[in-house]
Amino acid sequence: MAAEGGIDPIHQFVIAPLFHIGPLPVTNSAVFMIAVLAAATFIMIIGTSSRALVPGRLQSLGEVAYEFVANTVRGSAGQDGMRFFPMVFSLFMFVLLSNLIGIIPYTFTVTSHVIVTFALAALVILTVILYGFYRNGLHFLHLFVPSGVSPILLPLLVLIEVISFVSRPISLSVRLFANMLAGHITLKVFGGFVTMLLASGTWAVILAPLPFAMTVALTALELLVAFLQAYVFAILTCVYLNDAIHPGH
Amino acid sequence: MKEVDHEDGGDRALQERLAKLAGAIEKKQADSSESDRRQAEAAAVGGETGKAMALGFRMLAELIAGVAVGAIIGWQIDQWSGLSPVFLIIFLMLGVTAGFWNMVKLGSGKTPNRSMDADRKDRND
Repeated sequence: MAAEGGIDPIHQFVIAPLFHIGPLPVTNSAVFMIAVLAAATFIMIIGTSSRALVPGRLQSLGEVAYEFVANTVRGSAGQDGMRFFPMVFSLFMFVLLSNLIGIIPYTFTVTSHVIVTFALAALVILTVILYGFYRNGLHFLHLFVPSGVSPILLPLLVLIEVISFVSRPISLSVRLFANMLAGHITLKVFGGFVTMLLASGTWAVILAPLPFAMTVALTALELLVAFLQAYVFAILTCVYLNDAIHPGH
Repeated sequence: MKEVDHEDGGDRALQERLAKLAGAIEKKQADSSESDRRQAEAAAVGGETGKAMALGFRMLAELIAGVAVGAIIGWQIDQWSGLSPVFLIIFLMLGVTAGFWNMVKLGSGKTPNRSMDADRKDRND
């Protein structure tokens, strides 16, 4: 019945062109990326335009976001890390707003596609590598050489450190994308249970409120996860940037 | 003379009123600091859960990414050298080691995770 009724939990992730600008197709993903950027710009520019001493709602939203990210950067990457604050703040706002907008029904979650999150993670890691070599020269490679290890074990440990460095962009992107994907599929599956039970036409109809209650609870959990994933993305960006600023264990 | 008297009386009334208001403010502050404290405690508990969840997500991702990267590197070297499955096995083991090594570093606090603590200190100050 699910196949006939067309309850497809994966369908929400399909990328389809909505319209074309010249030869360029504009997909639903692109539209929601633009919406996220517009929302972030709106919060920060309109919110801070009044510059009131006692902030209004939008202004305090902007101030809280600024303070939160600034504390994260200072705590993980030190005062030197503040030069990367614009990047970390942009990443945090983009991830947070795409996650939050994705919870609204009928919207598209930009961060549920691994190519998007991997592009963000690759941006972070490329910044770490380029800035690390720019600031420390070849001393940056000391990141891969643990100190105080016997020379026999050293090649093995260097290999492990290199693998662990290469795994960083993978773990950064997979964590974000997998959480958003799994959360949205779970929500859709439980929502599908409600309609299937209601349409069954037997005594099972009385069970329908149970998955519905689960959907409500899961939506609250998704709200927490949306924020948490944006926070984890920001803090890991800071941790990796800290390696570029202060390499060597 | 009368003016001064009046002023004097007004002054006294004002003083009394000020004292009363100060008392009211103090009482209100005591009340609200109590509720503030309770709110801060609730937030700390929430922060604790959030911190634990964030750490859990990170641990899981480190493990998966380590194994995946080891497998991909080993598989590619196998393809290139034609010695399948020697390098796949070697790099899979190295990948698992790297994943666990990252988790150990995360758990023992070698990777900086200070911002949450800094947050808490700010709140307490």
